[in-house]
Amino acid sequence: MGTSVQVTPLCGVYNENPLSYLVSIDGFNFLLDCGWNDLFDTSLLEPLSRVASSIDAVLLSHPDTLHLGALPYAMKQLGLSAPVYATEPVHRLGLLTMYDQYLSRKQVSDFDLFTLDDIDNAFQNVIRLTYSQNYHLSGKGEGIVIAPHVAGHMLGGSIWKITKDGEDVIYAVDYNHRKERHLNGTVLQSFVRPAVLITDAYHALYTSQTARQQRDKEFLDTISKHLEVGGNVLLPVDTAGRVLELLLILEQHWSQRAFSFPIYFLTYVSSSTIDYVKSFLEWMSDSISKSFETSRDNAFLLRHVTLLINKTDLDNAPPGPKVVLASMGSLEAGFARDIFVEWANDPRNLVLFTETGQFGTLARMLQSAPPPKFVKVTMSKRVPLAGEELIAYEEEQNRLKREEALRVSLVKEEEIKASHGPDDTSSEPMIIDTKTNHDVVGSHGPAYKDIFIDGFVPPSSSLAPMFPFYDNTSVWDDFGEVINPDDYVIKDEDMDRGAMLNGDDVDGRLDEAAASLMLDTRPSKVISNELIVTVSCSLVKMDYEGRSDGRSIKSMIAHVSPLKLVLVHAIAEATEHLRQHCLNNICPHVYAPQIEETVDVTSDLCAYKVQLSEKLMSNVIFKKLGDSEVAWVDSEVGKTESDMRSLLPMTSAVSPHKPVLVGDLKIADFKQFLSSKGVQVEFAGGGALRCGEYVTLRKVGPTGQKGGASGPQQILIEGPLCEDYYKIRDYLYSQFYLL
Amino acid sequence: MASSSLKRREQPMSRDGDQLIITPLGAGNEVGRSCVYMSFRGKTILFDCGIHPAYSGMAALPYFDEIDPSTIDVLLITHFHLDHAASLPYFLEKTTFKGRVFMTHATKAIYKLLLTDYVKVSKVSVEDMLFDEQDINKSMDRIEVIDFHQTVEVNGIKFWCYTAGHVLGAAMFMVDIAGVRILYTGDYSREEDRHLKAAELPQFSPDICIIESTSGVQIHQARHIREKRFTDVIHSTVAQGGRVLIPAFALGRAQELLLILDEYWSNHPDLHNIPIYYASPLAKKCMAVYQTYILSMNDRIRNQFANSNPFVFKHISPLNSIDDFRDVGPSVVMATPGGLQSGLSRQLFDIWCSDKKNSCIIPGYMVEGTLAKTIINEPKEVTLMNGLTAPLNMQVHYISFSAHADYAQTSTFLKELMPPNIILVHGEANEMMRLKQKLFTEFPDGNTKIMTPKNCESVEMYFNSEKMAKTIGRLAEKTPDVGDTVSGILVKKGFTYQIMAPDDLHVFSQLSTATVTQRITIPFAGAFGVIKHRLEKIFESVEFSTDEETGLPALKVHERVTVKQESEKHISLQWSSDPISDMVSDSIVALVLNISREVPKIVVEEEDVVKSEEENGKKVEKVIYALLVSLFGDVKQGENGKLVISVDGNVAQLDKESGDVESEHEGLKERVRLAFQRIQSAVKPIPLSAS
Repeated sequence: MGTSVQVTPLCGVYNENPLSYLVSIDGFNFLLDCGWNDLFDTSLLEPLSRVASSIDAVLLSHPDTLHLGALPYAMKQLGLSAPVYATEPVHRLGLLTMYDQYLSRKQVSDFDLFTLDDIDNAFQNVIRLTYSQNYHLSGKGEGIVIAPHVAGHMLGGSIWKITKDGEDVIYAVDYNHRKERHLNGTVLQSFVRPAVLITDAYHALYTSQTARQQRDKEFLDTISKHLEVGGNVLLPVDTAGRVLELLLILEQHWSQRAFSFPIYFLTYVSSSTIDYVKSFLEWMSDSISKSFETSRDNAFLLRHVTLLINKTDLDNAPPGPKVVLASMGSLEAGFARDIFVEWANDPRNLVLFTETGQFGTLARMLQSAPPPKFVKVTMSKRVPLAGEELIAYEEEQNRLKREEALRVSLVKEEEIKASHGPDDTSSEPMIIDTKTNHDVVGSHGPAYKDIFIDGFVPPSSSLAPMFPFYDNTSVWDDFGEVINPDDYVIKDEDMDRGAMLNGDDVDGRLDEAAASLMLDTRPSKVISNELIVTVSCSLVKMDYEGRSDGRSIKSMIAHVSPLKLVLVHAIAEATEHLRQHCLNNICPHVYAPQIEETVDVTSDLCAYKVQLSEKLMSNVIFKKLGDSEVAWVDSEVGKTESDMRSLLPMTSAVSPHKPVLVGDLKIADFKQFLSSKGVQVEFAGGGALRCGEYVTLRKVGPTGQKGGASGPQQILIEGPLCEDYYKIRDYLYSQFYLL
Repeated sequence: MASSSLKRREQPMSRDGDQLIITPLGAGNEVGRSCVYMSFRGKTILFDCGIHPAYSGMAALPYFDEIDPSTIDVLLITHFHLDHAASLPYFLEKTTFKGRVFMTHATKAIYKLLLTDYVKVSKVSVEDMLFDEQDINKSMDRIEVIDFHQTVEVNGIKFWCYTAGHVLGAAMFMVDIAGVRILYTGDYSREEDRHLKAAELPQFSPDICIIESTSGVQIHQARHIREKRFTDVIHSTVAQGGRVLIPAFALGRAQELLLILDEYWSNHPDLHNIPIYYASPLAKKCMAVYQTYILSMNDRIRNQFANSNPFVFKHISPLNSIDDFRDVGPSVVMATPGGLQSGLSRQLFDIWCSDKKNSCIIPGYMVEGTLAKTIINEPKEVTLMNGLTAPLNMQVHYISFSAHADYAQTSTFLKELMPPNIILVHGEANEMMRLKQKLFTEFPDGNTKIMTPKNCESVEMYFNSEKMAKTIGRLAEKTPDVGDTVSGILVKKGFTYQIMAPDDLHVFSQLSTATVTQRITIPFAGAFGVIKHRLEKIFESVEFSTDEETGLPALKVHERVTVKQESEKHISLQWSSDPISDMVSDSIVALVLNISREVPKIVVEEEDVVKSEEENGKKVEKVIYALLVSLFGDVKQGENGKLVISVDGNVAQLDKESGDVESEHEGLKERVRLAFQRIQSAVKPIPLSAS
């Protein structure tokens, strides 16, 4: 029997939640992606928490939050300890993305799900692979080979091929078949007939109408139109993924048009991002590496883009129209949110979305049609403590220290009593820490959610299809009234406590890793206030997601034509649509499991290995067909010295077999071939080909399917007895090999 | 066939193996023009494509005449040095080579700069030029890039590369053809230095290791001692107010020395007022490449990169020409060329050589006949460029930073890998022999073969590569026991084999099967019964039925061809194509035509059909004899009705009755047996059911 393969989605099926899937191959558990969303909703990770400790390897496919956001948290809190595999850019840019997420969050809230240290720890032991590197796992995974291949979409983006005993399991999500400025298209189409393909149906219902050139033109026209009337343009972007493509477009256009409007790229890690990206040329498109090889022209040596890492630099920039690319794309945190609030009420300004916002975020709300006229946002700011608060903080700190010292001494006493080893002493204070942290999370966990999701809270338990539904402003007002202001007062106090506990941790970390990132070292607190923002600026959405659209997805899957197909990551409607399409046209085994539903996609393939003896092979004459060669063998089974099955030539007379015609006849190609031989051919009705005067040729039975999954072709040739008939039959035979 | 079987008899040890040939076209018992040809199971690979720096024009090329460039599938370039890559534009543009070329990203970027510079500075006549700048630019389009560890497959040849140390982008190639692995190290170094990783130890042991032997049996000084000597000399010289000249080749080791200097200056603030220059426009251009391909360097440099790019030097400034140089006090200048033949390094040497406060450090391998080689021996006087002589007072130091593996590294590398076959290339003949002798003592068990082929001398090896096939699908539903038969379609793709049932072909491969149904109409006005009667006379099986829809009569002949009466004037034949059915249908057509034309002949034919058994037997025998003669030539009638067949002195006896063959030669026996089997099945009547 074949290799056993089970797929269990942990997150991100029948909706657009982050991606995380468990694939078990002969008992070896792979976690494919470990994503989280911009809201850092811990309830999404519950399924993961149940299996985290049993995972043997993690494979990451893209350097954004949706694909790797939960890694630090899972490593720290959920007991995930498996080695992580990723390409160098995914590792590096993923790390920067997480830094940016953390710092953005920290700035506006008391964020304690993970720390910078946790991020570093999580990424420290990533095993970095290059594209098409066959990495042989050892130990428990002996015999399994993993290899990342080009996926497109983001720099370093990978589709993963997991091979065991010659059977391939391919995990391909968010790939892009089209070549872009900085990336090559995916190589997914080079894999044919894998045992299992796990892919997303995210864009199954989406068709992109505009050609790249026209889209670029629209994009730039929209921007310049707003700049010319004196408006500012905000592009909410991700930290280090799709933003690279946008930077290149703007950079290129600015050089051509000699624009003087400044472009700012503002994230907490923008300068390191670009520094690293400059050294990732071998991961980019052929044209970029070619231009470097011939003229040493690094495409990411940006001449028109200013890299900023804090907002004051932007505020100090000369006034006047400008383009700002800022993170996060969801507008839930980061500089983009601040800038949006500042700029939203000026009708000259433009907020240009380049991708669909994550579900339930401010960006998604603004992308709805018609866009809301007002949005309520809660703006939070970290301010240093002063006056009485500072004194109170210091007292609190001292008290904590004293308590801790007391506890340590108590523990020590206990230990001496129990004559424990010295190891426990050091770990004890940490336990206290986590306990306190935990309390903080628990006390305002649910309320916390309310701050960041306005108007719409997705029921996390729901698996049913959900469509974005946005309340009108009036209803929304009602909702606002429900909130009790007292909750906020209490929360602020809670946040202070959180900040106190975590403050030192963060600051110590920063000096080390990101000297460029500034954060106040003084004790600080977060203050929040609610704003109602009038959205009078233009809101435009354009597709720069860099994913294949529905039509391409279908033809790609048809080309790959897996023996079994698993669909994930799309709203229910899209999943169902693609499932039906594939069932009808591609393969009979299409699965779309629910969260925590395990589907067994073990191939029902029977196989055994034999040795081909030299004696047998010397009598086999191969015929070349495409890139493979075929022959008919009749053989007898014997044993080699090493007790291996071996095929020997027949000793008794061979009973003749039913002849097989091998080949793939395309009627259109055959028509050309015939006309090149001087035969008059034309298409008659019903797909029949009329050859000469009398003979007709047609394909019968199910047709129109690629990949030959349908079975043998049926070709019918008919005509009266005449010379032409035999001539055309001979031509037809020449298209096949007879075995 | 005959010649190969002869060869196999000469080599009884490796009877059933496939021949693998390795021929150095350059770098065999010499240093320079690396180029090694390899061929196995119809696949051909060329490793490296260099020139010999000591010769010019065509004489510098490897011996390309020995091979047919058009047969080469893949050309792999290990690194950018001239003796490994510089004949590539020639080979790509001026020969019939049409295969694919691979090198790493960094190698490709520097290759262009280096060769363009080489074309500019080489002072040979136009006729002697092997290629020009245009050829280099054209070659850039044909070169494909490969990343470290990335597996690439071309025509069934799988290959990937490991870091080799030596210089930026240097690679060792592992090639896998049908399970036989060959490792070509190129130039490699197992020692990690300031920016490069040490050569990796491949995770698989190769069957053949083609390894460089530049350093022979020498052992290098430890790196930190060399570095200390280097910095000590410089520090003491500049402290005394002297100037330091470091003549170095623009690329490779120069970057390492710059890193050492920059770091030393950073750690010694007292030196900050003393300038360091590197004077090489080429090195300056290449700095962008070094600044970009940080990721192919070692962890040390990558960690530094997290803070700032270490190749953006803080204490070192570029120098374009001697006119820009203000020689006002102590300074350190690294200048090209490394041999002090001419150019900036020589200009500075001429100015500085007579002052005993100054120093000159030679950091690497010197070519015979250059001034650098001469001054190592510290002569009293030297000849300046203007022809005058001057006293040589400056101190000359030779501190080797060469990044070739020394004996210790080579022997441990080979001991870890334990390749059964070692081929030494890229080494001076004497050094190579010494290395070979010493390696023999390291591998005394005699299982390891060490070879040192000269240029154009082929090494032949035989590999018994087992061909494994995977039987899949319906055919594999039951695992067969010994003696069972397995029949199916064998599909070969690259070097992997699969056996499957015809019905599964479309499932497991991109191929598909087809059935062709033929329908032919023949005018026939006679009674259908006549046809039935005639068919029954000829064919063993004729079934009569009536078409359910039309109620017209139909006949199924030989279970293959359906004959139907379509109308009063037509009958139709329908069958699905295969050779036997085609034949049956042809004979039916002939028969039908004969009925309508030559009715009276029926009786005569009928007599013909009935032939005596004896006559038949004789005819069969004749046919068999004639066919065997056409196949084997010398066939005689032997005793007991046996046929004696002799081919190339081997004799086989064939029993016509049983089909048994007796022969001492296994191959001939098998062939005769098979031929007889096939002939017999051809002359016998068609069996009723094929399947």
